[in-house]
Amino acid sequence: MPRLLERQQALLSYLTSPAAIFGAGPGRVDTRLAGIDRRRLHLEARFSHDKRMEKIRGILPKTFDLLGANLSRVMRDFAAACPPDDISRIHNARQFQHYLRRRWERRSARRPYLADVAACELALAEARSFAEDHVTPIRPAAARLTRVRRRPGVLLVRCRYDVRPVFEGGNARIARRPTFLAVAVPPGAIQPAVAELAAPVFKLLATLDTPHPRAGIGHTKDAEALIEALAAEGLVDLCP
Amino acid sequence: MSAQARATRPAVGIGYRWSIDQWTEDNLGRFDVLEVTVDHCIYGGARQRAAIEKLVGRVKLTAHGVGLSIGTDAPLDLEYLDRVADIVERLRAPAYSEHLAFTRVPGRDLANLLPLPRTTAVAKSIIAKVRTVQSRVPVPFLLENIANVFEWPDSTLSEAEFLELICRETGAGLLLDVENLRVNAHNHGMDPRAFLDALPAGSVQEVHVAGGMAWRNRSRDRPFLADTHSQPASGGTLDLLAYALRRQTPSAIVLERDDRLDAVDEILEDVARIRARLTPADTQVRRAAVA
Repeated sequence: MPRLLERQQALLSYLTSPAAIFGAGPGRVDTRLAGIDRRRLHLEARFSHDKRMEKIRGILPKTFDLLGANLSRVMRDFAAACPPDDISRIHNARQFQHYLRRRWERRSARRPYLADVAACELALAEARSFAEDHVTPIRPAAARLTRVRRRPGVLLVRCRYDVRPVFEGGNARIARRPTFLAVAVPPGAIQPAVAELAAPVFKLLATLDTPHPRAGIGHTKDAEALIEALAAEGLVDLCP
Repeated sequence: MSAQARATRPAVGIGYRWSIDQWTEDNLGRFDVLEVTVDHCIYGGARQRAAIEKLVGRVKLTAHGVGLSIGTDAPLDLEYLDRVADIVERLRAPAYSEHLAFTRVPGRDLANLLPLPRTTAVAKSIIAKVRTVQSRVPVPFLLENIANVFEWPDSTLSEAEFLELICRETGAGLLLDVENLRVNAHNHGMDPRAFLDALPAGSVQEVHVAGGMAWRNRSRDRPFLADTHSQPASGGTLDLLAYALRRQTPSAIVLERDDRLDAVDEILEDVARIRARLTPADTQVRRAAVA
């Protein structure tokens, strides 16, 4: 008899396979699982998969709506490409978004902006989650704020399409144009906001993971005004 | 603890859920106990943790886990256990419970409770792990019976024997999930009362009640029951609760609800239906059984 861990690994490998979830393909069961009722394994696999997809749908509802009739085909392909390796909702949604970026864009001419919609939904969920888990620190008023960093919880999303109409509920056409977005819950707010950034500002924010001297960004009045404007929007923190 | 003291009515309440936090707060007086899922404290946000900690001292809180995967044939995650210990202390919880199951192996996490082969060898490895849990978490540890869809073919012990062996060797208590028991009895053709009769009197420290759904498959004659925590508890589940209470004296009975949480009237109704099963006569019978 193989070691229990080996049997457990064989079981999870099978339960997360399309053969077990959808009853598709040859469906050969590992010999280490011999004697277990296959119909029951199919049920277990299906229940677990449905739970996982519900978690992902909870984070990416618009993406799922847009998938429409393709949803079941995509789910099968996703299950094969990305077996679950973590319990968290956001982790599973991120797996799905990465899957769409890799596979959907290459294979589907319809709604090629879908991975961008998923990226925005994911960023919205992550921003909410961050705001839920962190309290904005209050800086001492007298401190001299000589450094600047991107405010923790600000998510930067680079899209190939301007997908904001999907979130605004209108019928506007989704235009193909590089769009640079910052997603964050502004200080004092509950819901996240999405701001479009100019490409150079996006690039600047991307470099500000850690505090940088303000002087390093530029000495001009324009640079100072930009930093103040980003701070007012809650996209950067000014630090001592 | 004396038989007289243990024969008091169990605390009745619900599993705390963040999405109905305000409603729970508004209705706190209706519950004797709230069961907190420790994983929500570990992985949930600061606001959720703060809301839970605000409940400390205002209502009895018990601690329940879903993330230990004690049945994975690999070392326990001691860092996780230490975080559990910290939460249990903060909640002032009288006990910490987990499922006798596994959910993951390195690299794969099904996020669903899976059964173990019920053999003495597997029991031995679980016994060692229970002792580790007991050495790190400073309150009594309880193991919960799960609803399992399938069985391992090499099981040699009944579920009651498996649980009883582990609990006897370690001194761990039982968290009896009567809905899981009903679901297993239906799906696997076992006698739920025989399961309850096989448990030592007084071994059940806490009870879970829930309501699930039936799944119909064209190739199956009987529907398959799933423990979805989404529906009102069935009469059959409450009958099993009443039967269990003849020999068991749990300190808490918790209604688990994870879906359709907006149906709060159903939650209150279920709590009332549970309380209705705790008649003074039951208490007398229980007192006699324990004595």
